[in-house]
Amino acid sequence: MPEAEATTGAIAETGRTSRLATLLQVARARPRFALGYVIVLAAVLAGALAPLVAPYSPVEANPAEFLQPPSAQHWLGTDAVGMDIFSRVIYAPRIDLAIAVAGTLLSAVVGCLIGAWVGYHSRGGGLRGWLAYLVMRAADVMQAFPVFVFAIALVASLGQSVQTVVLAIAFVNIPIYLRLMRSQVMTIREMRYVEASLVAGLSDARTIARHVMPNAMGPALAQLSVNVGWSILLTAGLSFVGAGVRSPTPEWGSMIASGFQNVVTGEWWPSVFPGLALAVTVFGFSLIGSSVELFADPVKMRRLTRDLAARRRERAA
Amino acid sequence: MSQHQAGPLHASRRNILQGAAALGAAAGIGIASRPGPAHAQDAARTLVIASPATPQGLDIEFDVSLGSIDALGALYDYMLAYEKMPDPKAPGVMREDIGVHGDRPNGLALRGRLAEKWDISPDGLKATFVLRQGVKSNWGNTFSARDVKWTWDRKFNLKGQGIFQTAVLGLKTPDQIKVEADHVISFSLEKPNPLLLKQQCNLANPIYDSTKLTQVGGADDPWGVQFLKNDSAGFGPYKLQQIVRGQQAVFQAREDYWDEKPFMRTVVMREVPSSASRLSLLQGGAVDIAQFLQPREYMSIGTSRTLAVDTVNASSMIWLELNAKIKPFDNVDVRRAINYAIPHDDIVKTVYYGLADKLTAPVPYIYPMADPQYFSYDLNLDKAKQLLATAGLADGFSSTISYNAGDPVQEPIALILQTSLRRIGVNVQLEKLPAGVFYENVTKREKPIIFYLDSPWTPDPGYATFLYFDDKSYVDYSNYSNPKVNELIEGGLQTLDDNERKATYGQVQKILMDEAPWGFIAYPKYALARKAKLSGFTYYTSNNLRFQDFARS
Repeated sequence: MPEAEATTGAIAETGRTSRLATLLQVARARPRFALGYVIVLAAVLAGALAPLVAPYSPVEANPAEFLQPPSAQHWLGTDAVGMDIFSRVIYAPRIDLAIAVAGTLLSAVVGCLIGAWVGYHSRGGGLRGWLAYLVMRAADVMQAFPVFVFAIALVASLGQSVQTVVLAIAFVNIPIYLRLMRSQVMTIREMRYVEASLVAGLSDARTIARHVMPNAMGPALAQLSVNVGWSILLTAGLSFVGAGVRSPTPEWGSMIASGFQNVVTGEWWPSVFPGLALAVTVFGFSLIGSSVELFADPVKMRRLTRDLAARRRERAA
Repeated sequence: MSQHQAGPLHASRRNILQGAAALGAAAGIGIASRPGPAHAQDAARTLVIASPATPQGLDIEFDVSLGSIDALGALYDYMLAYEKMPDPKAPGVMREDIGVHGDRPNGLALRGRLAEKWDISPDGLKATFVLRQGVKSNWGNTFSARDVKWTWDRKFNLKGQGIFQTAVLGLKTPDQIKVEADHVISFSLEKPNPLLLKQQCNLANPIYDSTKLTQVGGADDPWGVQFLKNDSAGFGPYKLQQIVRGQQAVFQAREDYWDEKPFMRTVVMREVPSSASRLSLLQGGAVDIAQFLQPREYMSIGTSRTLAVDTVNASSMIWLELNAKIKPFDNVDVRRAINYAIPHDDIVKTVYYGLADKLTAPVPYIYPMADPQYFSYDLNLDKAKQLLATAGLADGFSSTISYNAGDPVQEPIALILQTSLRRIGVNVQLEKLPAGVFYENVTKREKPIIFYLDSPWTPDPGYATFLYFDDKSYVDYSNYSNPKVNELIEGGLQTLDDNERKATYGQVQKILMDEAPWGFIAYPKYALARKAKLSGFTYYTSNNLRFQDFARS
């Protein structure tokens, strides 16, 4: 059976090399994945080092130098009140990434916990079964709303602040993790080792925590990075319509929005540079998402390592 | 009456799509769909306006939004009007002659509209108006003194904005307005009132066709409130042909109008929420007028041969309400300090591109008796710090500035203020409020600092100061209260002697500038972007267009 042989060979191959080496090989074979990590790392570094690197304060208006085009003095120009766009663009990841990561993690934790509970009890009857059913219908209702409108409504009702945006992002993402986790848990619930755990006398909660969740986390983890990118877009979108963070907090979406009105009169830079930064960062997260998907898929991963091994053998020959 | 000037909303994808849709529609209505010489003539006599909003309502009693006030000036006529004069600074633009004219009766340059003659008794307590004969409404009913009486009775009964109109004239009961003959009406006052004639010109006092409105309303709706939501019954030069809110309103010139027939036979007001889209439509030739652009957009029209921008000094003012009931703004020195930290020149240059002047008085600078000599708040951060120290706030304090998301100039002004205030140790957070919530917050008077843009429609210092600074006024949004100021303002509203009034309101302005209930920012100018061949623009202190003014060369 050539297929079985090849698989065994690939696993053997993987076993011989360290994980890091495999990662590096994958990076060489799929350079776009590496690009994703580089972009995200750059965004994180820009945010972290902004106070050291930024030539100007990101929140200080300087009316004497409003709407200056890119120059040696202001690399990316200035906006309508004279704030330095470069300084603001590199400060922005502090807010955008923080909001997106916090919102996504919060939704992942809450969504996974509820999803695990619901999945565990979905096939059972009684009150718990009904409750699980109700939770799923509530998730249906939440997902039936256009995400953006739902987020705007949340921010409008809770008040405009960074915390609210985080909450809004977490809230609209919860159903995604809830569903992922539920479907995983429903499969795992039937496994012998779960039965064994229950027979051994562990409570439902402990069984879920010790044996079900750790085995069901894969798809949710793969979803994380894609979700972070998407949440950055949502954060920027909320700010663009004025429902996000408060001005003059450096944030890409609000920068695009406030610069947008100048585009029609020829001053493109206040809007275009934050727009580019936003697009590139989201692209970076999407590449990372693809790579995680690959790593999390044993079939694809096996195929890739097999290809890599074959290539190495060819080179050696 | 004061008017909320909701500026154009910031652009969104939806707005742009709407703009694109309007482009097609406006072109279709105006020009493209009507070939041939006769139709070319029709197109020349069709005025297409890109507006931020179509009229919300058509009843001034309940609605003073932007589209509504433009509609009002076309659909209704008024008892009196100011004479027109060329704007001294803007060639080709006319404006109302609102100055004090010692040589004219009652010191005003007025012309008769629905009233042909008028007379005020020597004691100033009774005004008699002889009305024009042979005037028909858009429903064919003949105008008489009963229509004027019914119009004012309606104010007393509905208790909308009209109740302010009655109060400002000191009218307490409908009986004070009396039909003396079929075409003669009188107003009897308890005290002389210098606003009596001026209010007859105010956009908020249109005369209704009472015959039509009593007929359509019946017993259920005796004041025609339902009918006037979507239609009109007046004596103005246009009638409403169509209104589809959010899309367009169409006005048709009346063949049976009593005065000169308007040049523009049809007026189409298209709703285009984004100012950038309105500008694009004008540049593409699809509309004749693009209303309420942003300062930068007006400047971009600059040297175009086919387009023109008229800019005139206006009655609008923009300021910060420094809430005198919220600490630390209850302290006069803190309010003064804020004023010394306002970089007026930067704001006028950077945000308005010169299309504004600094706010140097608590009344519009174009109004008679406005006096800028008491303004002393040129940017002086040292003085501001000193005043804060005097107030016991040498280390500064924190506060919030709330502004209107619907007015694109407020955020940049707030950002410039925030930076300037930081330099005197005052850390302000900026709070952006959606337009609807914003006005609610202004009227609630619970924000420490909130922007306000307004214009007192009647060109009179007593009217303006009463609105904003008398603690009996519902528009005293800064919670300012000074019995001495109340006394002066109200005293000035009970004398007809212009010299005495000038001295009184000089004193009022001096106290107000000293006690700084506002953060004085700017007088934004009124600008109109139009096709170069369109002429006749006239500026009114109510900041609305009157379609009958326009012609095409």
